[in-house]
Formats: sequence, structure tokens, C-alpha cells
Amino acid sequence: MTPQERAEELTQLRRMRAVSLLEGSTLLLLLLVAVPLKHLAGVSAATHIMGPIHGLAFLAYLWMLIQTVSGGGWSRSETTRLVVAALIPFGAFVNERALARRQAMLGGSG
Amino acid sequence: MDYLWLKALHVAAVLVWIGGLLLVAVAITVLSLSKEVAEAPGRTAVFAVRRWDRYVTSPAMLLAWGAGLTLAILGEWFRSPWLIIKLVFVLLLTTLHGLLSGTLRKLGRSDEPPASFGLRHAPLLIIISVAAIVVLVVVKPFDGNVWWG
Repeated sequence: MTPQERAEELTQLRRMRAVSLLEGSTLLLLLLVAVPLKHLAGVSAATHIMGPIHGLAFLAYLWMLIQTVSGGGWSRSETTRLVVAALIPFGAFVNERALARRQAMLGGSG
Repeated sequence: MDYLWLKALHVAAVLVWIGGLLLVAVAITVLSLSKEVAEAPGRTAVFAVRRWDRYVTSPAMLLAWGAGLTLAILGEWFRSPWLIIKLVFVLLLTTLHGLLSGTLRKLGRSDEPPASFGLRHAPLLIIISVAAIVVLVVVKPFDGNVWWG
């Protein structure tokens, strides 16, 4: 891997980690803030706003995962782990750690 | 924002997205067939297409999704069969975009093999999906029926 390719790979991993954190955070906001607001305080606008925002973040996350994995350099078991974690609630945080480890392995700061 | 303005924004974003998606798909087809990715002109082309994909096509895709979902919520279209069928095609295009975008990154490296047989036929798949989406949106078949309540 040339230095330029390594730099591009690190950029991709940084982006993927940021989107993972965004997906996990919007799910936390939806479940811990918007849903209680709706059911306990009767503020249904909270879920009406947070629901689509999380939906969009989840979509961006899945899309970036497909892009990252199809870019090559991932073993079959690593790919399976990333995809399975992507589909379970809060799995984005698990994936973010896996991506951080890979970033550290490639020589980028965590 | 006014519904029609949002609709115009959605259509504009979709046009930019699909144009960029076809660019990536055709670039991959050409590069896979030529097998000269490692040579200088091929690498320059890959770099240019990747930059366009990163800074124009991908943001346009997110904008198309965001505006589209907002339109569906505002217009209460989610119970309409045509929208559900359309979403299947849009998900297909989104997945294809992710695969093509990643493959383009892979082709940028000299030591990687050319794209798979399936991805070489991506332009045709994109055109068929877009045609199906246009028919569903314009004709709105099964519009008399409403799914889910």
C-alpha cells in the first residue's frame, strides 16, 4: 500500500467512524429522549422529527458500510461481523471500535 | 418549505445522483474491460470520477433521500403501494451505488483485480430501475388501493 493509498484508507475509516457514531447517537436520542417525550409527556412531534433523522442516519451508515467493505481489504469474517453489527441496535458503536482498531493498525491516530 | 419547492429539490437531487451513478457505473465497465487501470490515464480518470462521486453524487443521494422522505411524510404517501415498490428500487440503486463506489476505490489501486461480471452490467440495471421508478411515480399504478390501514 502506497502512502497515498494509506492516507485515503484512513480518511475512509475516519468518515465511517463518524457516521457510525452519528447513527448510534440518533438511535440513543430517539429511544431515550423522543420516545419517553411522546409516551410520558404527550409530545409526539419528538418522534416525528427524530424518527426520520435516525432513518436517514441509518441509511447513510449502511451505505457507507457497503462502500467501505466493497473497497476491499476486509476478510470474509470481518465483513460478516461488520454487517451483522450494523443490523442490531447500537451495533454501530461496536463497529466504531472495530474501525478505530483498524485505523490504529494502519498508523492513524484513534 | 412549500411542497412543490421540496418536490423540485428532490427531482433535481435525483437527476444529479443518477447522472453521477451512471458515470461511476460506466467508468467501472470501461476500466474493467480495458484492464489498463494501472496506467496513468486510467488512474487519472479513476481519481476524477471518485472526486465527483464523493463531493457531488453522494451528497445528492443523501439530499434525494432526505427530501423524498420528507415529501412522503408531508404528502402521507407511505400507505400507497407505488411508493413502497418505488422504495425497493431506490434501495437497490443505493446499494448499487455503495458497491460501485467501493469498487472504484479498489480499482484505483494497481494490484486489485477488475470488477465482477455483475457490476459490469450495472449501467443497464440502473436504467431499468430508473425507468421503473419513473413509471411508478408518474402513472401511480394501484393508486386506488391503500396498504396498511
